[in-house]
Amino acid sequence: MKEIFQLPVFGVFITLLAFVVAVKIKKKWNYILFNPVLLAINFIIIFLLVFNVNFEDYNNGGKFLSFFLGPAVVALGVFFFEKYAEVKQNLKPFLIAVTAGGLSGILSVVLILVLFKVPDFIVQSLAAKSVTAPIAIQISKLVGGVPEITASIVIAVGIFGNAFGPWILRLLGIKNKIAIGASLGTAAHAIGTARAFEVGKLPGVYSGLAMCINGIITAILAPYILDLFLLF
Amino acid sequence: MICTNKFFKTNMVKALLYIFGFLTAGELIRYIFNIPIAGNIIGMLLIFLALRLKIIKLEDVKPASDKLIKYLVLFFIPYGVGLMVYFKLIQPFWLPIAVAVIVSSVITLYVTAIIMEKFGK
Repeated sequence: MKEIFQLPVFGVFITLLAFVVAVKIKKKWNYILFNPVLLAINFIIIFLLVFNVNFEDYNNGGKFLSFFLGPAVVALGVFFFEKYAEVKQNLKPFLIAVTAGGLSGILSVVLILVLFKVPDFIVQSLAAKSVTAPIAIQISKLVGGVPEITASIVIAVGIFGNAFGPWILRLLGIKNKIAIGASLGTAAHAIGTARAFEVGKLPGVYSGLAMCINGIITAILAPYILDLFLLF
Repeated sequence: MICTNKFFKTNMVKALLYIFGFLTAGELIRYIFNIPIAGNIIGMLLIFLALRLKIIKLEDVKPASDKLIKYLVLFFIPYGVGLMVYFKLIQPFWLPIAVAVIVSSVITLYVTAIIMEKFGK
């Protein structure tokens, strides 16, 4: 049986199966913790543990799917071009808001982790925690983090932003819908953007664009910020 | 009627060629200039510029880019599954990680939203 699990087709098949089932469950019961990615990952992990399959064996097939993260990031550039006309009138404040938010996010997460004296590889894995997974994984690889840890934390951050983002913002006195959209995309990438689209179409567009911009900003700044903080 | 009109209008292979072309260009630039930014992010900036400067047309790349974005979440599932290997490694640090992630997320949310609310239209 082990030979079967080592075939690339197994990893691809079980990932597609878990994803399709997870999407079905999310459609039936629209509950925040039923995020399709979170569900699919848990289904696969449980299966692998029950049948005693190594992650490496699973990833013989899994890597065929994760390969497409590269072109998917390029596709975000196309999305950005398509939508940016809708935010043109607000471009300057929008860019400043996302840059300030993204920068304060990297600084605060790195600072807190360094103060708690966690090992460097965790700080390096978490610096890009607010950024969309394909970009965060690349950043993590580049700065010496563990992409698998990054991916999981990124998903958790997205679900946190999706579930509590609008509520936290209301508590802090934010009323402007566009501001809510921009901040959800900056802090909680695509999963936060899904929530921003529930607030409205325009907040959703702002959120998607904020996700792209913060991805670029974090990719450029995170390596330097990490160098600075991990020097000591 | 296997070949519908729509099939001829949307050329998936050409669109994929563009996407992978810009991805390759991004990787090449990263390799040649040795910059610490991922090749796919450089590719994303390049394709945006190419569209903006009308070097390529939106409808030439849209068939592939729409599909890639639609299934983006599927592509990072294997990385998420990989956490099972590293779970024990980060488990002792769950509290600082949770504190850092939550505090930092709230700061990001607030800083972005307050600037946007004050200065946006």
